Amino acid sequence: MEPSPQPMGVAAGGSQVYPASAYPPAATVAPASVVSAGLQSGQPFPANPGHMSAQHQIVYQQAQQFHQQLQQQQQQQLQQFWVERMTEIEATTDFKNHNLPLARIKKIMKADEDVRMISAEAPVVFAKACEIFILELTLRSWMHTEENKRRTLQKNDIAAAITRTDIYDFLVDIVPRDEMKEDGIGLPRAGLPPMGAPADAYPYYYMPQQQVPGSGMVYGAQQGHPVTYLWQEPQQQQEQAPEEQQSA
Amino acid sequence: MDSSSFLPAAGAENGSAAGGANNGGAAQQHAAPAIREQDRLMPIANVIRIMRRVLPAHAKISDDAKETIQECVSEYISFITGEANERCQREQRKTITAEDVLWAMSRLGFDDYVEPLGAYLHRYREFEGDARGVGLVPGAAPSRGGDHHPHSMSPAAMLKSRGPVSGAAMLPHHHHHHDMQMHAAMYGGTAVPPPAGPPHHGGFLMPHPQGSSHYLPYAYEPTYGGEHAMAAYYGGAAYAPGNGGSGDGSGSGGGGGSASHTPQGSGGLEHPHPFAYK
Repeated sequence: MEPSPQPMGVAAGGSQVYPASAYPPAATVAPASVVSAGLQSGQPFPANPGHMSAQHQIVYQQAQQFHQQLQQQQQQQLQQFWVERMTEIEATTDFKNHNLPLARIKKIMKADEDVRMISAEAPVVFAKACEIFILELTLRSWMHTEENKRRTLQKNDIAAAITRTDIYDFLVDIVPRDEMKEDGIGLPRAGLPPMGAPADAYPYYYMPQQQVPGSGMVYGAQQGHPVTYLWQEPQQQQEQAPEEQQSA
Repeated sequence: MDSSSFLPAAGAENGSAAGGANNGGAAQQHAAPAIREQDRLMPIANVIRIMRRVLPAHAKISDDAKETIQECVSEYISFITGEANERCQREQRKTITAEDVLWAMSRLGFDDYVEPLGAYLHRYREFEGDARGVGLVPGAAPSRGGDHHPHSMSPAAMLKSRGPVSGAAMLPHHHHHHDMQMHAAMYGGTAVPPPAGPPHHGGFLMPHPQGSSHYLPYAYEPTYGGEHAMAAYYGGAAYAPGNGGSGDGSGSGGGGGSASHTPQGSGGLEHPHPFAYK
């Protein structure tokens, strides 16, 4: 029965929230450990010829810089996303038509047998919430599409977005594991077509993942950084809230 | 159970009182017996339209991606609803309110959503207030003189949604709120705004709370007492609109929700909405 696992899922979600609150310190530590891991992975380089080691270090640094720039761009996109959402809501004048049918939302809410009565405003709020949810998930998925130099949003892009974003943990069952594995396959393909971003950047980014054992650490950092940024964003939102209310 | 003892008499009384309004609307369905596959997901056309708003013009979306987003949205609704419902049960309430939804989002990590949605809910309620003043709903009892609700009326507004009791003595307000409910139902919108804001937003939405808004339980408790005190006065007015809204699923849901909360108020004049149990 679907309703029965729902409470467990909710409980898991609830328990995950607390670890999430403890996550920022861990996220803060992660970059340091990643940096140290990078240094450690650099140590084997002296064993190689001097010029090869230097060349490899340069490639690695360029990959790191590219990665950081990508993170910054994506973070800016997300910040812009939330600013646009608030602006859009403040400009709303049509409250009669909703982008999603309220009756359908109510039926889905009612699918949980424990749910008894629903106020008429709840589906209205859900209609807007789901709209924002679709927009955010699509944006995060598209970021992965762009990273792989594609123009078609695919299921594995959604899987990647779910993997990278903590608040989407409740969705992991919707995307099968093979879709997540396909995520890894997507990267090599990305190296082939030289389009969009500087073509040189991608081959450099691609090589370390094959040759450096620390590539896993880099990927870990990749996941860690979004979380760090995510935690900064809510604070900004909270700071804006009082002003918003005062103006209202 | 007090609620069970009230049911028979309440049913007969309310049935006769709102017979006309109820007959004018479609039969009320409390819950869908079996949810069809089609009803389990959001319409794909709506989903695609929303997705495209955030994608560049040249972007394409694979079919499996569209279906995956559909699944994710339904899962999101169930996820948030489950948390909101747990809160209702802990506080011995039967109706999931908009504030419960916002609270659940905050608790489940969707903090970014609370501010925009709180603003949206606030503006939606303003829209409802304006609509009530206009009195555009045909077929409803005319109420041209709908007064503009000041901030101080917010507690009363939330009280009427929680205390529907039939009463001929409430005819003037009965017509007024009936008008609003019909309007909301006609456009598939909300009926009566529920009380109490979310943890963060509540401090601003409730400028006149009887208790401190720092802790949710306290924010609800004084409201609950006040609700009980005002139930008899607004109950009759709130009840008929619920029946008037029977033509629309959302409207009837709201009405039923208002009615079913009454038993928890433990008021002599309060009783659940009989249609909630059909």
